[in-house]
Amino acid sequence: MNVAPEAVAQRDRIAPLFELRGISKQFPGVQALDDVSFEIARGEVHMLLGENGAGKSTLMKVLCGAYRADAGELFHNGERAEIATPADARRFGIAVIFQEFTLVPYLDIAQNIFLGREPCSRVPGFVDRKRLYADARRMLEKIGFDIDPHTPVHQLGVAQQQLVEIAKALSQDARILVMDEPTAALSDRETERLFAIIAQLKKNGVAIVYISHRLAEVFALGDRITVLRDGRKIASVRPAETSPDDLVRLMVGRAVDRTYAREYCKEPGDVLLEVKNLASDNGIADIGLTVRAGEIVGLCGLVGSGRTEVARAIFGADRVTAGEIRLMGESIAGSPEDSARRGMALIPENRKQQGLALGRSVGDNIVLASLHRMFPSGIFVPARAAKAAQAGIEQLRIATPSPHRPVSVLSGGNQQKVVIAKWLNAAARVFIFDEPTRGIDVGAKAEIFRLIDQLVQKGAGVLMISSEQTEIVHVCDRAYVMRAGRIVGALARDELTEANIVRLGMHQ
Amino acid sequence: MSTRGAIATGTFIARVPGVAVALVLLIAAFSLANPNFATLSNLQNILIQSTILLLLALPMTLIIMTEGLDLSMGAVLTLASIALAVTVIATGSTALGLAAALCVGLGFGLLNGALVAALDIPPFIATLGTLGIAQGLSLVATDGQSVVGIPRGLQQVYGGTFAGVPIPILIGIVAFAAVWLLLYRTRFGGYIFALGGNREALKLAGVGDRAVLIATYAVGGAMAGFAALLMTARMNSAHPTAGIGLEFDAIAAVAVGGTSFERGNGWLTGTLLGVLVVGVLRNGLNLMAVPSSAQVAGIGALVIAALLIDGLRSRP
Repeated sequence: MNVAPEAVAQRDRIAPLFELRGISKQFPGVQALDDVSFEIARGEVHMLLGENGAGKSTLMKVLCGAYRADAGELFHNGERAEIATPADARRFGIAVIFQEFTLVPYLDIAQNIFLGREPCSRVPGFVDRKRLYADARRMLEKIGFDIDPHTPVHQLGVAQQQLVEIAKALSQDARILVMDEPTAALSDRETERLFAIIAQLKKNGVAIVYISHRLAEVFALGDRITVLRDGRKIASVRPAETSPDDLVRLMVGRAVDRTYAREYCKEPGDVLLEVKNLASDNGIADIGLTVRAGEIVGLCGLVGSGRTEVARAIFGADRVTAGEIRLMGESIAGSPEDSARRGMALIPENRKQQGLALGRSVGDNIVLASLHRMFPSGIFVPARAAKAAQAGIEQLRIATPSPHRPVSVLSGGNQQKVVIAKWLNAAARVFIFDEPTRGIDVGAKAEIFRLIDQLVQKGAGVLMISSEQTEIVHVCDRAYVMRAGRIVGALARDELTEANIVRLGMHQ
Repeated sequence: MSTRGAIATGTFIARVPGVAVALVLLIAAFSLANPNFATLSNLQNILIQSTILLLLALPMTLIIMTEGLDLSMGAVLTLASIALAVTVIATGSTALGLAAALCVGLGFGLLNGALVAALDIPPFIATLGTLGIAQGLSLVATDGQSVVGIPRGLQQVYGGTFAGVPIPILIGIVAFAAVWLLLYRTRFGGYIFALGGNREALKLAGVGDRAVLIATYAVGGAMAGFAALLMTARMNSAHPTAGIGLEFDAIAAVAVGGTSFERGNGWLTGTLLGVLVVGVLRNGLNLMAVPSSAQVAGIGALVIAALLIDGLRSRP
């Protein structure tokens, strides 16, 4: 393994365009960054690699002034640089394109590119529209984006919005462009186009920091690769010095086995959930799948392939237009109330918005889905609720000093446990998890998987959606792969590899 | 060929905003129901009567685009009207009276803006509070009585004409043009879109988002103060209850006009049409001798119907 001792290697007199040295950053309960150093050279594409929670985004937020580091120093052309606010970062020519775009939907492209920097006309306060659109056109031409700058941004697709973001960054004379998983929502053709633009920016001397966890991209684009894991820099290498396997090993470390370890289901029980020819007006069609007792079944595919939509349709949250859903042998009507009462639980991706009453206490949340069952008379009995809450907290080992604590103050992992406790208390037998580990640190991840494993060992069936193929491959007993709103393949345990998932899930 | 034509017609119909359809339907219905409706003098009357509402609904559009609300406009207009009447009676100067009204309006606008932008009080609560303050002050200042004895000249502002066009209509045209330019042609206007659409983008662009928000509410207050001039001239007096409920009509007009309460999606021409819809509805119901209290119910129903129809149409 070539872990370049770059402190020595890079001392070839030319100071890098920008350098972060010894950056540490702590959040309550998490050491997000621990003594990380990072260099950016003119005209290079520096890939920043790591699993969710490895500290990539935190590092970039330090660079762009959104966070202040607890320790460490920044250097611009070899000179000490102070970045306390986004405005400071902009002065150094640093621009970031986050996954959440900073565009205004009902302004047009030109207005968005120059928001806050509009050319002024002679009348004070008025915009010189002729120059605004001419300048915008020039910026768009620079990146080969052929579109009328008068087009309102809300009419654009994700890929086009991203191009507007790039034009916006360039219009600020960005010399360091940070892109956070820019291809996450792009099609292959759009990705190719983005790569062409990146190549051109490089030629013009723009340095690009490119956050990704797609290995193919890393090798296609990168001049240098830095791998972070659990807040530490693990390696900084040239693509020629490494291989995809090496990188994966660096990214996940040895912890991988322990994170996902479980005994796969040998003899699945009864069919708990059976879906036939399901279609919904949310864009999915012809969906067929089964989940048996004791099984964790994966549902994977690219972002936008319709995984969440399948979950919502099965649970009755979106309108079903065709097909049949049988829960424990009985056909169900397709409303969330009905599904929940019959023992199905949907644990949504966005638990803050959809899975929890954030302002309420841990205890309240745990009994929330079982009020009907626990209090058939309609009268709330606090003692009974407290007992159920306590049972849930103990069973799932939720780290809270009391059931009366508001859920909002718990960590992501513990919030996720509260959601699970809620459905356990409601006597659910079929659990649909949508991205159960999103935004959860590595330690808590292992615990979430252990919980899911406990559920199936007790006879539940689990359908698990995940964008992280490693999770699917290691955790699931088998998996369905989706593409463009349809299931395009089913993989049994012995066929379940990342390569097979990618092969099935990619656009043809 | 014929299919293409049909598709084109289909998209055209789908594109005509609901508020325009509503306006045409209402005018047609009232014209059939009452022979006195579709006369030149009555239509002109509707335009004149709608001016005050327009002066409130225009800035209300801007405020709603920031995902805000101003419930205090009617009460602020009332208080400004009283300040105007008292000043004109004391000094005999309409200009000083207007200055007093504008001061009251601007003051409350700044106060609203400060409460919302600087103290982060939800707009609904903040402006509900200032509504109470303005309404209370009006009653205290007048002891619940009307302020009368305004010199005759002031009435000319509402009843007079300039180059043959009634002055209120001219004021309405100028106000619409001014707010249109403000929203679509100035930097400030762009920032209003950004406040509701993506406030983070505005902050990252280094624009003082709070200042923009305060200024938006200040515009609303100032225009309510200016509208007090028309209101006072129209009644030739100031009543401590004159403006009650005007904010309701203004919000209704904005909503009917298709401005969304989310994402900074506003449309000023829609507001103009929305104001006319409310004006036509009130006038038509008046002609049919429907009491004013029942008209409020009619406007409420119209708002809900308009939003329902827009919701159905925007579905894929």
